[in-house]
Order: sequence, then structure tokens, then C-alpha cells
Amino acid sequence: MSANDSYGGYDDATPVLPHIAAEFLLWLWWSAANSGCRADLGDDLGPVDFWVDDRLCFRAPDEGRAAAVITGENPAESPEARAAIAGGKVLRELRLCIRRDEREFAVTLKAPGLDMAQVTLPQVVSGSGEEALYDRMFLYEELHSLVAAFFQRFALARSTADWSELTAPSIRSWVGERMVAQDG
Amino acid sequence: MGILSGALTARRYRVDGEVPIGFREGFAEGLRSYAFQDKSSPTAGEELVGWVEIHNLLDVGFEDINRWLYDHYAIFSLRVDKRVLPAKLFKAHLEKRVEAWCQEHQRSKCPAAVRGELKELLEFEMLQKTLPRVSVYEVCWNVTDGWLLFHNLSDRANERFVKLFFETFGLHPKPEAPLDLLGSDEELGEAMLCTGGLDYRPEVDA
Repeated sequence: MSANDSYGGYDDATPVLPHIAAEFLLWLWWSAANSGCRADLGDDLGPVDFWVDDRLCFRAPDEGRAAAVITGENPAESPEARAAIAGGKVLRELRLCIRRDEREFAVTLKAPGLDMAQVTLPQVVSGSGEEALYDRMFLYEELHSLVAAFFQRFALARSTADWSELTAPSIRSWVGERMVAQDG
Repeated sequence: MGILSGALTARRYRVDGEVPIGFREGFAEGLRSYAFQDKSSPTAGEELVGWVEIHNLLDVGFEDINRWLYDHYAIFSLRVDKRVLPAKLFKAHLEKRVEAWCQEHQRSKCPAAVRGELKELLEFEMLQKTLPRVSVYEVCWNVTDGWLLFHNLSDRANERFVKLFFETFGLHPKPEAPLDLLGSDEELGEAMLCTGGLDYRPEVDA
């Protein structure tokens, strides 16, 4: 079975590599923790605040089904979340919040296709159905651009040799540090 | 509702292919041709699939363009009906009918062929009284920019949607993959394709 089959995709669609989405979610989590939840997404989008919200979901690397779901307040800091990574599980879902200017978005990103679930858009003030549609699709597009910008940054980092030499070891020690701190 | 209000949970597709001039009429005709149609004599487990208007799943005319095309957004829903008989109740009724047949014909056992006929008749009768299980999935298509949202993530629902969409409009929607987020940066996409999964477990000291 190819990666695309498992995603319900098609022969001519862009391939879906299972590890990419899982690593992207881990990178988002690690980046938020190591950047004070702040990122500059470049000229078009500018600075944003981002953080892992109330849901992390893990799976075993060779299985599609969820093996552990951690919800509640600040699961990113929970011992269970670190233990899952330390135990070799990979991320399957991550609830992400992004704040740009005064607008706050929340989305559950789901591997392997990075489908966007439970998207909460900033409050729309328009009254009628038609205006609400335009506003919501405009905001959805903004969220899509923000996720794409994060993915672009991840891809730029992931595709260089620095990833295996610097970033991956840094992520490993970040997970390890937290485990040591919790053990102590 | 998700497209017009509430939380959105949708798979995003790219719709490649040129939208013809005067697409409005063509799209309306396509939606009408593949609109949902109920069946007078349904069979158990059979699925009925078709388009309905987004505001009410009983509206299938697509006559008023202002109810499904808002500027460059076409919005409509996929309706899927399935009639399923409650298995235990069906079995109990069938046993009663078999018993009645045996009594009527002074037989201790009912032949398989007769049992089959009784089963078929009972199924037909019960299906007439059974309401279908109805699923409705919203679609929002940005016709100008060539992307759409299908408001459900299950592979089965998505496969049904893609099939009917192609039959209706002659366009093939492709699910957007993570690498599609890189846009036209093909070089970066190629580089990502060459990556393999890594182990992020912290190293354990010996």
C-alpha cells in the first residue's frame, strides 16, 4: 500500500509521505517551546504568536490509529506528552492556536494529509449568510496561508543537512531535558 | 453547518482544469442532473447519493442561482441516504413469519426457498416503513482560484464526493497534500520527497 492509498488519495495527486506531517507537528511544538511562542512569517504575513492548545494525539510509527490522546489544559507541558515521544510514538494530531494582530485562529492539524479540523475562525461580524460566507472564506484563506508559511519554514529547515546534524539532536535533547526534569 | 457557521472540519482539494465561460448554466445543469433522488422501492443497505441545496436538504432544483452561487463561491451539499433494517427486530419478525408458515402448512421445518421468499417480502415491507439514515456534507468551491472544501474527513465520504463531482462537472478534484503547501517551489518539494523519517527519541546514556 502506498502512502497515497492510506490517505484515500489518487495516483496523480501529490504524494503524501507519512513522516512529513508527523515531523512538522513535532517541529511546531518544539518551535513554540523554543521561540517564546513567537514567529516572524516574513513580509506577507509578519509576526504571529502561536502555541499548542488543548490536544495532542500520538500513534505508533507503523500504525494509523491513535495510541494516546492527551487533552486538557496545556498538554504540551504534560509528562505524558514527553513520554509518548520518548517512547517512540509520533504525532498524529496537534491543536494549534495562531494569533495574528487581533485575530485568533485555532485548528487541529491531522497527519498524514494535514487536514484542518475543528477550525475556529475569529468572530465574524457580518449578519447575512452571504456576507458571513465571504468573511469566513477570507479568514479560512488567511489561516491556510499561515499554516502554509509555517510548513514552508519547516521544509526549508528539514531539507538541509543541518536538520540531522543540529535540529534533530536539539529536538531529542529538548524531549530528554523535559523527561529528566520531570523525573527529578 | 460548517461552511456558513460553526467550526470547520474539511478536506481541501485543488480543482485543476479550466472553468468554461458561461459556467453558471453548465454547473446548474450538472447539479440538477446529479441531484439527489429518492427511490420508491429501496433495497436494504443501498446508498442513494446526490447533490442538494445547502440551505435545505429537500431542495434539489438548483433553479435559483442566487441560492447556490455567491460571487465566485459555489456552495451545495452531498446527500447520502442509506436504509438499514434493525437486524434483531428483523430477525425476530422473520422467525414469527416462519413459525406461522409452519403452523399453516402443518410442517415442522420451513424449506430454505420459502424462508428466502418470506425474508424478501418482510424486507420489502419493513423498508417501506423505515426512515433512511441521512448524511449531508457541505461543499464550498472557489471557482476562480480552483480550490474547494469538502466538509468531512472520512475517506469513504471523500471518495464518494470525488466520484460524483467528476461525473457532474468533468473536473477532477485532487486532495491537497502537505507538499502542496509549498506552492510553486518545486525544488523544495523535491528535496522534501528525498527525506526519510527520523527517530526523535532522546538518546539514553549507557
